[in-house]
Amino acid sequence: MKRLFSVLVVLLTLLSAVGASDIKTLADLDGKNIGVQTAVLYEELIMDKVPHATFQYYTMPNDMILALTSGKVDAYLIEAVSFGVQHKNHPELAVLDEPAGYINATCIIGNNSKKDRLLREINEFIKTSNENGMLSEIYDYWIADFDPDTDTCDVGGFTGENGTISVAVEGGYEPFSFISHGQISGFDVDFICRFARAYGYTPEFFEVPFEAIAPGVETGKYDIGMNIVVSEERNETGTLSDVYYTTPIELVVLGEDDSSAGFFEKLQNSFYKTFIKENRWKLFVQGAVETIVITISSIIAGTVIGFAIYMLCRHGNKVANGATNFLLWLIHGMPTVLLLMILYYIVFGSSRLSGTWVSVVGFSLMFACSMIDMLRVGYNAIGRGQLEASTALGYSDHQSFFRILLPQAAQHFLPIYRNEVVTLIKETSVVGYIAVLDLTKISDLVRSRTYEAFFPLILTAVMYFVIAALMTKAVGWIQNRIDPRRRSHEKILKGIKEWE
Amino acid sequence: MIEIKHLRKEFDDETIPLKDINVTINKGDIISIIGPSGTGKSTLLRCINMLTEPTSGSIIVDGQDITEKGCNLNEVRKKMGMVFQSFNLFGHLTVIENIMNPQITLLGRSRQEAYDKAMYLLDSVGLSSKVFSYPDELSGGQQQRIAIARTLAMDPDIILFDEPTSALDPSMIGEVQSVIKLLAKTGRTMMIVTHEMDFARKISNRILFMYDGEIYEEGTPREIFEHPKKEMTRKFIQRLSSLTYHIDSTEFDLEAMSEELHGYGEKLLIEAERLSKLLLALEEICINNLADYAEGTPDILVKIEYSEKSDILTMTIKYNGNRLDVSSIESKLFRLLLQEPTTSVSDKELENDELGYHHQITMSFRWIEE
Repeated sequence: MKRLFSVLVVLLTLLSAVGASDIKTLADLDGKNIGVQTAVLYEELIMDKVPHATFQYYTMPNDMILALTSGKVDAYLIEAVSFGVQHKNHPELAVLDEPAGYINATCIIGNNSKKDRLLREINEFIKTSNENGMLSEIYDYWIADFDPDTDTCDVGGFTGENGTISVAVEGGYEPFSFISHGQISGFDVDFICRFARAYGYTPEFFEVPFEAIAPGVETGKYDIGMNIVVSEERNETGTLSDVYYTTPIELVVLGEDDSSAGFFEKLQNSFYKTFIKENRWKLFVQGAVETIVITISSIIAGTVIGFAIYMLCRHGNKVANGATNFLLWLIHGMPTVLLLMILYYIVFGSSRLSGTWVSVVGFSLMFACSMIDMLRVGYNAIGRGQLEASTALGYSDHQSFFRILLPQAAQHFLPIYRNEVVTLIKETSVVGYIAVLDLTKISDLVRSRTYEAFFPLILTAVMYFVIAALMTKAVGWIQNRIDPRRRSHEKILKGIKEWE
Repeated sequence: MIEIKHLRKEFDDETIPLKDINVTINKGDIISIIGPSGTGKSTLLRCINMLTEPTSGSIIVDGQDITEKGCNLNEVRKKMGMVFQSFNLFGHLTVIENIMNPQITLLGRSRQEAYDKAMYLLDSVGLSSKVFSYPDELSGGQQQRIAIARTLAMDPDIILFDEPTSALDPSMIGEVQSVIKLLAKTGRTMMIVTHEMDFARKISNRILFMYDGEIYEEGTPREIFEHPKKEMTRKFIQRLSSLTYHIDSTEFDLEAMSEELHGYGEKLLIEAERLSKLLLALEEICINNLADYAEGTPDILVKIEYSEKSDILTMTIKYNGNRLDVSSIESKLFRLLLQEPTTSVSDKELENDELGYHHQITMSFRWIEE
C-alpha cells in the first residue's frame, strides 16, 4: 500500500508538469530530444538544421504529450491540424513560430495490374479537383475547420462499373481517417469516395496501422494507400500519385499555461474526461470483464487440457509423448502475440470465432503447456520410492497416482502454478492485436480520445494488480485447502473412536 | 508356498543380475540372502513381488504363476509385504494414515478397524506417541519401524525386507533389528537381503549365498558361516571383515581411505574411536615413516581385518627395505597409543612371502567397554 502511494506521488508530480521551456527557435533544439511518431518521417524535415538532436519515436501521437510534459523530450513534431486538437485539451502546449516544414501527402498505388490505370486516373482527379477548388473545399471542411462531432462524409452512391478498389487508411487518425458513429470517415475517406464516384469504382476501406500501409500496398494487397508523405526513399520503391494536400508540421514545446485552472481543477477535469464523459467508466468495466473472462477460462481450460494430456503421456505412449513434446516446443518457442495472430488469422481465419474466444484458445494452449511442465516437475520432485511402496502394497496404478503421487506433486507445483496464473493475466494484455477490447486496449482507446495518460494508465495498472491479487489469493486458498499438513488432528481421525 | 524356477533377469544395459535362480520358499521360512554387492540379491527380492519384471522363468505363488500376463498382480502384492531400504513412507500422510490408508483402500476395512489395527501395531513397534507425526519428522530408525508396521497391517503371508538397515545410522540399526527379530519369533515367512552377517546368522533358518546372479550356496546359518563348502562362499565369509590397501606413493589419499574405513566400521559396528586409533597408527607407520624413508617409490601393503567373534581389529603392514622399529617412532600420540592396554603390536621378518615382502608389522586393537 505504501509503495502504491509513493508511485502515485511520483505520477502526480509528473502530471503537474515541468515549467515553460525557453526554446524559441528551431536552432535552440540542437542537441535536444525531439519526439516524432513512428514511420511518418517528419524528422527528415529538420534533420540537417539540428544535426545533434536525438529523435525518439512514439507509436501514439498522444503519448508524445506526456513525454513532453514529463521532460522526456524537449519538443515534438506533429501536423498543424493534430496540434489544434491537442491544444484544446492541453493549453500549456505551444508551437514555435516557424514550422518545421511542410509535408506533401500523396497516395501510393498498389503494385498490381491496375497500377498504371489508377495512377493516371488519380493524378487526373487531383489536377481537376485543384482547378475546380474541390480539394481546397474539403481541406477546409476536414482540416482547417474540423469539428469531430458533426463532420460527416458521404460513403455511398458508387456505381462500381469499373470494379472494386481496396484502400488502406490508418483508421485512428483524426481528421484524415477515423471511425465516427461506427463508420469510417475523414478527409482521406472523403477524397477517395469522391474519386470512386467520378471514375466508377466501389471503394473498400481497410484500417491498417501506418507503418503497414506502404508494405501492404507494395505487395499489391491494397490498390491504394492513403496519406503517404513524400520522401526520396519512398519515391524509389513505390509508385506515388501527385500531392493531394500540403500541411505544415509544427514543433510543439511547452509554453505558458494561460489557463487559470489549478492543480486539483486539472486533476478533476482529467478524471472527468477519463471516466465520466460518455460514460467511459463502462468501457473500463467492460475491458476488465473481458480480461477476467479470458484469464479464468484459459486457466480452467488450460489446467484441464494440460492434465488430460499429461495423463495420456504418463505411461510413455510414444505417439502421445512425441506429439506433446512437439506441442510444448512449438508453443513455448513462440511469442504470445504471434501465437494469437496465427490462431486468429490462419487457424481460425475462416471461422466466425470471436477474438475473445480465439484468445481463450491461445492462452489455454499456453497454460496447458505450462501445466504439463508443472506436473512433470512436481512428479519428478517426489522420489521413485513412493510409487514403489504403493505398488508393493497392492495399490493399482490409478490408486497410486491419485492417492499417493498427485497429492505430493501438487505441493511442489502449486507455487509455480500461482506464478503462472499471474504471468497469464499480464500476458493477456496483448489480445488487443486480435481486436479484443481488453483492459489494455480500452485504456489505449480512451487515451487516444482524451489526450490524457495519467488516469487511464494508473487505473489499468491498479486493475491488473487487483485481478492478479485476487487470483493469487484464490490459488493460495486452494493450496492451503489441499495441503495435507494443514489438517487438524480431528479431521485426520474423523469418525474414529481414539485410543487413550 | 513360493516356488521360483529358472528365474532370469536381463537389464537393458545388458547386465544380467539374475542368471538362473531356483528356490522354494516354505511357509515359516526365514531366509537371509547374502553375498557381495551387485550379485542380484535385491533384484531377486524385487522379482518376487514383480516390482522388477523378470525376463524369463516362473514364480509360482500358491499354485499361480505370477509372471504370466493377466495375473492380477495387485491382489498378489496385497499378500506380500515389502520393507525398503529407504523406508518409503508416504510423505504427505501422518504416521497413523500411513498405516491405516492401505488397509482402508485395499482391504476394505472400516476406518475404526484400520485405526485399531494401526494403533496396536504402533504400540508393538514402540511408536504409539507418534500418531500425528509426518515421516520427515522422524528418525530413520523410527521411519523403518513405521514402515514395518504398515506392512504388517496388511496381514501379508510373506514379508520381503530389502536391506532394511542399510540406510540407517549405526545407532538405529539395533532398534529396527530387534523389531524384525520379534517378528521372526511369531513364525512369519520372511525373506531378508542384508549385509549384517551377525543379524542374518541369528535370525534365519536358511541362508542363500548369492554370487554372480546365481544361488551359489545354500544352507543353515551354521553351514554357511562356519563350514562353507564352496570356494567363493569361503572367501566371502573370510573377506567380510578385511580391507586391503597398497601404498605406492607418498601422495597416498588418506582421506578417501579414512572415509572407506569409517563406512566399513559402521557396517560392522566398530567404534569410531577405535578406527581413529587405527588410522593414527597407520598414518604414523606407513606415511610418516615407511613411505618417507623409502628409496624411490614406496611399496607397502596394508590389510585391515575385523573379527566379529573375538572383537579384535587387526592391521597387518607388509613392506620391503630397511626394517622399521615401531618403538623408535617419536610421535607423542603414537607413543601414548602404544602404551594403551587395548593396543598390541608385534613385528617379524617374512620368509618366502608369496608376494615377496620381507618385513611385517601387526597391530591389533581391542575394545573394553567402560
